[in-house]
Amino acid sequence: MATVEKPRAFIRPDGKEKVTGTGRYTADLVLAGELVAKFRYADHTHARITRIDTTRARALPGVLAVVTHEDVPDVLYGGMVQDRRLFAKDTVRFEGDIVAGVAATTAEIAEQAAALIEVDYEPLPVVTDFEAALADDATLVHPTWESYEGDEALGRHENTLGYSTIVKGDADAALASADVVVKGRYVTDPVQGVPIEPRAVIAQWQGDKLTVWTSTQVPYAARAGVATTLQIPESNVRIVVPLLGGGFGAKCDFHFEGHVAALAKAARRPVKLVFSRREEFFAVGHRREGMVLEFETGARADGTLVARKARLVLDKGAYCGEGGFFAQMAAMHALGPYELENVHIESSLVYSNNQPSSSIRAPTAPQVCWALEQHMDELAVALGMDPVDLRRKTIVETGSVTATGQVLENIAMRETLEKAVEMIGYGQELPEDEAIGVAVGWWPCFASKSGAYVKLNPDGSGTIITGAQENGTGSVMAMPTYVAAELGMQPEDFSMLYQDTDAAPWDMGSCGSQTTFNSGRAVIAAAVDLRDQLLDAAAEKLEASRDDLELTGGSILVKGSPDKSVSIADLAGEGTFHGKSEDVVPDGPEAPAEGCVGRLGLESFHAPQLIAHAVRVRVDRGTGVARVLEVAAAHDCGKILNRIGADGQVYGGVVMGIGQALSEGTQLDAEGRHRNAHLTDYKLVTASDAPRIDVAWIETDTPGAGPKGSKGVGEPPCVPTAGAVANAIAKVIGARVHKLPMTPERVWEAGA
Amino acid sequence: MKVATTLNVNGVSYPVDLDPGTNLLAAVRDVVGLTGSKEGCDDSECGACMMLLDGQPVNACSYLALQAEGSEITTVEGLADGDTLAPLQTAFLDLGGVQCGFCTPGMLVSATALLEANPRPTEDEVRIGLSGNLCRCTGYDGIVKAVLSVAGSS
Amino acid sequence: MSVQTFTTATSVDDAVAAVAAGARPVAGGTDLVVGARSGKSTMPESVVAIHRVAELHGVESLADGGLRLGALASHAEIAASDDVRSRFTALSDASAIVGSHATRAQGTVGGNLMNASPAMETGGPLVCLGATVTLRSPSGTRSVAVEDLWTGPGKTSAAADELLVGVEIPAPPAGTGSAYLRLEYRRQMEIAVVGASAAVTVADGLVTDARVAMTALSATIRRIPEAEAALIGSDGGSAAIESAGAAVAAASTPISDVRGSADYRRAMAAVIARRAIDQALSRARGENA
Repeated sequence: MATVEKPRAFIRPDGKEKVTGTGRYTADLVLAGELVAKFRYADHTHARITRIDTTRARALPGVLAVVTHEDVPDVLYGGMVQDRRLFAKDTVRFEGDIVAGVAATTAEIAEQAAALIEVDYEPLPVVTDFEAALADDATLVHPTWESYEGDEALGRHENTLGYSTIVKGDADAALASADVVVKGRYVTDPVQGVPIEPRAVIAQWQGDKLTVWTSTQVPYAARAGVATTLQIPESNVRIVVPLLGGGFGAKCDFHFEGHVAALAKAARRPVKLVFSRREEFFAVGHRREGMVLEFETGARADGTLVARKARLVLDKGAYCGEGGFFAQMAAMHALGPYELENVHIESSLVYSNNQPSSSIRAPTAPQVCWALEQHMDELAVALGMDPVDLRRKTIVETGSVTATGQVLENIAMRETLEKAVEMIGYGQELPEDEAIGVAVGWWPCFASKSGAYVKLNPDGSGTIITGAQENGTGSVMAMPTYVAAELGMQPEDFSMLYQDTDAAPWDMGSCGSQTTFNSGRAVIAAAVDLRDQLLDAAAEKLEASRDDLELTGGSILVKGSPDKSVSIADLAGEGTFHGKSEDVVPDGPEAPAEGCVGRLGLESFHAPQLIAHAVRVRVDRGTGVARVLEVAAAHDCGKILNRIGADGQVYGGVVMGIGQALSEGTQLDAEGRHRNAHLTDYKLVTASDAPRIDVAWIETDTPGAGPKGSKGVGEPPCVPTAGAVANAIAKVIGARVHKLPMTPERVWEAGA
Repeated sequence: MKVATTLNVNGVSYPVDLDPGTNLLAAVRDVVGLTGSKEGCDDSECGACMMLLDGQPVNACSYLALQAEGSEITTVEGLADGDTLAPLQTAFLDLGGVQCGFCTPGMLVSATALLEANPRPTEDEVRIGLSGNLCRCTGYDGIVKAVLSVAGSS
Repeated sequence: MSVQTFTTATSVDDAVAAVAAGARPVAGGTDLVVGARSGKSTMPESVVAIHRVAELHGVESLADGGLRLGALASHAEIAASDDVRSRFTALSDASAIVGSHATRAQGTVGGNLMNASPAMETGGPLVCLGATVTLRSPSGTRSVAVEDLWTGPGKTSAAADELLVGVEIPAPPAGTGSAYLRLEYRRQMEIAVVGASAAVTVADGLVTDARVAMTALSATIRRIPEAEAALIGSDGGSAAIESAGAAVAAASTPISDVRGSADYRRAMAAVIARRAIDQALSRARGENA
């Protein structure tokens, strides 16, 4: 175990095109004859559709296609529950439900045509209070929920899409005998991913073959979505992702590729959709969910946690999307990286007529961690303990057994906590309007299949073919360094063919911080296969035993006989070399999880990443305005393969976390419509608000980790930031802010 | 009714016909054909469209293109000298100032304007000067370091 | 409706004639085009670009100690002026924090005033500094006190054929200090949720004149006479500042919206007003720049 020192130089292969403006993002592409797509969104957030008449829209000159549910196969789609249609058929369930699409020669005509579509509705009661949606007599968002296909383990019932528990021992009895018990209720607003690139999709049919250029994080999921909803084989669908202008989860899942493809098919022309920022806010069924969280924790006087009860209610919004696993994921974060003797956690994922929730960077974790880490600080106060000391006493470490029965092996929770505390100078004298807050969290790796090829070109350069998706993090950009290392070549020797579903084997995409873990593993395996081929060829050519050969400096040498060598370029010119990965997905750890329901596989955390953040915050007690002045972020993400890339994930994730802590929240009206679907009032952190951030990596060798001992890096930085900020604010103002974001008004209300 | 005008972008004169309501971003992207400048929002909050107009930063999305007749327009495509990157471009790459790259063109243009007006800025001046450009990836760390390194004041 | 006609004026007469003929003037575009793009307003049918009119530019210190701003003086120019910073400090405070660097480079004081947003930054300082604007039409020129210019959000008392051509600020009396502060959720890219301007004159330890104006707390930016009365004749001590702040809060008629509740805005009115007054007093006493 060691702390990584200085960053290694790493220049991204896509860097030059990005700094010169020559790189192409989806909206930058133009196809001959392309039309502009616009959607007609729902006029109500919950209503029955009684009539759709597109006559006037179709008659408008310049309109080449109008598409409704009648024009596409009647298919329900979705992740763990298939509950949505491309175009609403009989019911609209949220503000962004799409009733129709239009393709026209100009944006103005398309907009005009969309407005000319006549839709009659019978309004239904709107379910915006997702906690009330659990009541027996609540209006059902999906009255036909029982007819939907879905994962049996979800435990669906009426408005409850998913229900998960974590149960260990007898929490009630333990609470009754605890020395100290604290309780708290916390509420979080929904939050948006806000990639700076609003999404764009272009679809073009050539005969039965469809090509879709789209700003997605998950091209293979997009392909499957198109194939499923339009009922065509995946082999007829090619998804190409040009440069992707950020995603943060919001561009995970199949979203609009099917709609645009259907329009292009109907119009017999290429069709392009480019979202406005407003649409990027309200129309995407993909945001971070609002939650209600109730915690009750009992401790002995020495801080030992004897029991935790928690009740979590998560707003799923109108549709499942890819967020069906949230109830169990949230429950795991309600445990947190703590030793707990008795546990009873109940977590419900609930339909509403709000915007659908799906994965945004570390889904569910920042909200749950924010609440839990405040709750832990409240417990520390009740115990008369320093909050860091309480964590020292209660956090998991190597050998700990979690509440679900997973044995944690080789983790560095304690080291990250100590490092964060040391870096921030915890305990120092501070002005009375400043304080330091600390929070810890965890996050799993996601093991998944992936595949890759590495081929050599006749001049000895190489091409990596991977299904991995680069969303900006640099995780794909780092792959030439892994391949070069296996082959004794230079990263610059390799080009990459990626983000094209016709080229590479299936890949999960840029989600779940898994690119290095899975796609990287596959790329390295392909490089190893190629190396074997090269060694075989060199052994024959040099008349040497394979075991005596080494690859270095672009050549294969016989060890100890430096004059006996052949260059890789010479070999490549003579033969055909292409390495292919073997798909070996690492097994996840065991977790008996006895007594737990809603088990979706997250009851154990595969090669968990452990995170501790310490933040120094200043609060203006007159106004409630809080500013984060300094952040110390210590992470156990295993072995760091690309330091500049990994650091960049922490800088960006922490700043995103600060936004979530202080200023980012979607405000909904009484009918579930966005009130601030624009960047003026959905406030991202600017350069002048972003603090100094110090990063430390504690490198561990965790069983089940990815290539070279790496774990995920992209999502963990978001997890404990808001909780640390909350704890600092509470120390300054002497009161707790129980709503997220902790806006100036909320801080002021709480007692600033 | 389109209006004939000339836009001078990165030292090249482009004769163009524009609807009078066309904003400068749309004119440069869709008519001139330089797509380096990006459209990231509806209300001039994100700065992805930032250009220089006679050396002064402008949110091109909120500036009428016809107003730019007679002005020197600079976009990200005009920052490098042929194939040689400008020091800011190199520094952005070296110091982690680029991730997804969507904010990068506007960020580079704002940084260019900032250093032109204030060649030796403090870190806080850099942060203030770049606050009209939103970045969601980098936390601004690599960007601020890059600008300071070019200014020689890091 | 999209823009049908676009002309570029090269003289004030051209510009005034175009406005009188129904064209909407545009300079930096930071309100007009942004408003249309974000869906808050529509683009006018006819536009006259006035940004090339040389006579409308400039920040000029006058021989009588006053200041003249061309309608096209940008926030960046105003903020960069040493004279504005030293003698008309509240205006400098305001111009320095408008929008972003690009807004400040392109946005003009004339556009800011005529947009008549109750949240504009430069309005409160100009009110407190006793500024007047010059409105010109084909039939002549008239002066209007800045505080009489606005009649409601987005509405002014300027006639349809009048163009704002300049702003004049009289010389501040000796011993005057001024300040503008706003409640800032972020340090930049903010729209005032609450803003306060104060200009105070101190002689022999007593406040001899005071003007206090509130931004974003009523339909137009306006002075709060009760707050001014609490200061005038006082020693400018904490009791006087406290009661001026209370008067500001009492006189506020804020709205509740996504940016904050009325209750919060009213409470912040007092806080921000106290801070602005305190800062103006410090400056009047020469305690800080």
